[in-house]
Amino acid sequence: MLKNMLKIDLSYQKVKYAKIFTGIVILLLLFLIPVFIHKPYYLHIFILAIIYIIVVCSLRTVALSGQVSIGHAAFMAIGAYASGILAKQFGLTPWLTIFLGAVVSMLFALAIGFPFTRVRAFYFSMVSLFGGIAIMNLIRVAEKWTGATSLAGIPPLDSLNIPGIVQITFSNQKAAYYYFILIVALLCLAFLYSLEHSRIGMTWKAISQSHQVASSVGINESRYRVLALAVGCFFSGLAGACYAHYNLVLTPSTFGFLPSIYLVMYMLVGGLGSFWGPVLGTAIFVLVPEIFRWMKEYTPLLVGGIMVIVVFLLPKGMVSLFYRNEPKIRKIHKKEALRYDA
Amino acid sequence: MGIDVAQVAINVLMLSSMYILMALGFAILLSVLGIMNFAHSVIYMVGGYICYQLAVVYGLNQWFSLILATVIVGLFGLFLERFCFRPFFGDGNRTMVMTLAIIVLVETIVNILVGTQVRSLPAFVPGVIKGAGISVSADRLVTFIIGAVLTATMILLIRKTMIGQKMLAISQDSVGAALQGINIYKISSTATVVACALAAVSGGLMAAILRLSPYIGDTMLVKAIEIVILAGIGSISGVVGAGLILGALDSCLPLYLSGAATEVVGLCVIILILLFRPQGLFGREA
Amino acid sequence: MMLKTEELTKNFGGLTAVNKLDLQVHEGEIVGLIGPNGAGKTTVFNLITGVFRPTSGKVIFSGENITGCKPHEAAKKGIGRTFQAGFLFSDFTVLDNVVASFFLDPRVGFWEAAFKTPAYWKKEAYIRRQALDILRVVGMADVQSELARNLPHGYQKTLGLARALAVKPKLLLLDEPLAGMTQSEIAFSLQTLAHIRQQGMTILMVEHNMEIMKLCDRVVVINFGHKIAEGLPEDIQQNKDVMEAYLGVEDAA
Repeated sequence: MLKNMLKIDLSYQKVKYAKIFTGIVILLLLFLIPVFIHKPYYLHIFILAIIYIIVVCSLRTVALSGQVSIGHAAFMAIGAYASGILAKQFGLTPWLTIFLGAVVSMLFALAIGFPFTRVRAFYFSMVSLFGGIAIMNLIRVAEKWTGATSLAGIPPLDSLNIPGIVQITFSNQKAAYYYFILIVALLCLAFLYSLEHSRIGMTWKAISQSHQVASSVGINESRYRVLALAVGCFFSGLAGACYAHYNLVLTPSTFGFLPSIYLVMYMLVGGLGSFWGPVLGTAIFVLVPEIFRWMKEYTPLLVGGIMVIVVFLLPKGMVSLFYRNEPKIRKIHKKEALRYDA
Repeated sequence: MGIDVAQVAINVLMLSSMYILMALGFAILLSVLGIMNFAHSVIYMVGGYICYQLAVVYGLNQWFSLILATVIVGLFGLFLERFCFRPFFGDGNRTMVMTLAIIVLVETIVNILVGTQVRSLPAFVPGVIKGAGISVSADRLVTFIIGAVLTATMILLIRKTMIGQKMLAISQDSVGAALQGINIYKISSTATVVACALAAVSGGLMAAILRLSPYIGDTMLVKAIEIVILAGIGSISGVVGAGLILGALDSCLPLYLSGAATEVVGLCVIILILLFRPQGLFGREA
Repeated sequence: MMLKTEELTKNFGGLTAVNKLDLQVHEGEIVGLIGPNGAGKTTVFNLITGVFRPTSGKVIFSGENITGCKPHEAAKKGIGRTFQAGFLFSDFTVLDNVVASFFLDPRVGFWEAAFKTPAYWKKEAYIRRQALDILRVVGMADVQSELARNLPHGYQKTLGLARALAVKPKLLLLDEPLAGMTQSEIAFSLQTLAHIRQQGMTILMVEHNMEIMKLCDRVVVINFGHKIAEGLPEDIQQNKDVMEAYLGVEDAA
């Protein structure tokens, strides 16, 4: 009996070490990518993927509290435009304005937060959808006012100059940007992961499961929903601001209806249940179309195909391939509808 | 320059009828099945393309092409319901991903088959009708008439026929309805076929008034969602009211504001209404 | 006096669910609230905890007027409740259900949670210990790792009780705590309730089960939202009005 107990313990330990080991390997690979991949275009794709990973993870943080925002690209836009304008018009250094852009996005979330979060689940999604489109159109209106068709001429990141230790220029240096965004992403994801697996995250999940019970134990539903929205929007704004100083040009259509829907899709196909779901989903949906670009106009068929396969066979998302105890591939029964599904 | 109220009113009616026609099928699926069918946009687009193919490429009579396109797309609705909706009943997330997958696949296939160049269907009824100081393009008037007839038919069907009553029952409580012996699969297929047919009709008519490209569905989808959510889930007749409101906003505001600003105003109105009444103007209490 | 309602009334449209209800609960008492189905008992709870705003009347808790305050504020003031429908955090384990309910005390700040300070870990360990204690008291310590939605009904009800206790309430509102339980589960629950009562808890309980009446110090009977009788359990069982309410008036056959 003791032997059996030890056996089980060992296998859990093994899994834990395996996870840590894989994590370190992946981390190493990520840091080594610019060493092996020199084509700027490929680095560009990786940079975009990482930026979107931050956004989709922050989207999931908001979704933890039961609110799925279908307008999240708009918060990316707010951060991007705020940072871009502050740097371009007021000459502040991008290192500062990126942070300020995130703050502006968060403040906006706080401002609209209370009325928006009073609305439940599905209706919140609808309101966020319309809000996102409204913000995109608002940007268009502002552009008409200023006579520009896009916000161009955004200054890139200032060079990092610590005499004797480090000297990095960012202009035209994709590799430098890659490391920058990688480090930012790791910090953001670490923060979000820590939040989710803390009492705060537990409170969010509690609210999403039963708001009656949650309020009966003293949880101020409304305040926590707004908190989730604020945190989620801070990081989307941050990612957007990074995008602004990387791309140096901003157009409203980058942040409109379709991109918002794609963000939700990346999260769902990756898997809502796990923190790594959005990471996996975004990575696949950004990288795969590029890897298979040679298929030209047939490439989206591959993307659509992946979506169909995942939605039929992996109901909990791609990340469920890595779950240990759950039944992974669901059998396709003939009469599935109306079955009470866990 | 005085504003011709009559002309504005006619414009509002014409635009509203286009909106309502586009949104009707979407509303039926959302209210009866609780499914947000994003694929509605590509079905609309495909309806337009099939009509074009039949009328322009094969040279059939345009009205006949419209009817044929409607039938073809309606039959596609059977496939859609059986293989794309039914496996995911009850799971909104997976249904949404499925409908998005359909959009991606269908848009790409159409793109491959026909190319992205913008086409246009010749008008169903060419010319402009003038009278009593107002003018309206004949095509839009015809669209209005067809739209009105179809909307009225749908509302009557739901209120008066057995099938309609069953649809109402399912929309309120699908499990209870099934327990009452209502064959929900039959009803859901019927609803999907009807929704697709409506999408095809509006696609064909719009192809003549607007242009035709694989991506026309995208903007239409946003408008349809706006109308249906404003009207409220569970209300088909509410679509008329919501359509009129948005049609009025989108006809009158562009006289003073730019297109984007009009959108902003319209959306803000909708958002404000939803914040106070999330179930929409005419919807059921959540 | 722990809890007092004065002329508490709630109208839903045309329906008067609670009608000028006067209720008192003293410290350390167990008061039973009984009445036929639809008499408005759950609505009374909802009014006390702030889920609904009363149309008129007052709710006074420990001398403080808490009429119309929000549910989370009621919890802060020391009112814990269970739900008739057995609402739970269904995707959490049993232990997590209780741990999550320790929201109010000790308060964990945002930044300490995000950065996982040593203070945070200390608080979490303390909460875990207390949660396990509560689970031991209600007898669910051995199922702590089960998912809440996999539990049989009786266990779910008991988990609701454990959850309510985590709030460290001064007043416990129990909405049909024994409904749907088997005989052995009922016996055990009665023991648990007696134990809690011994520790000084004040309880207001809604129940249909007559056995539970034995546990109560006092029973209040309501019908159509209005108090029709009040007194000791034995007396209530003999009361004519009560029997009429439950069984109806006998027809002259």
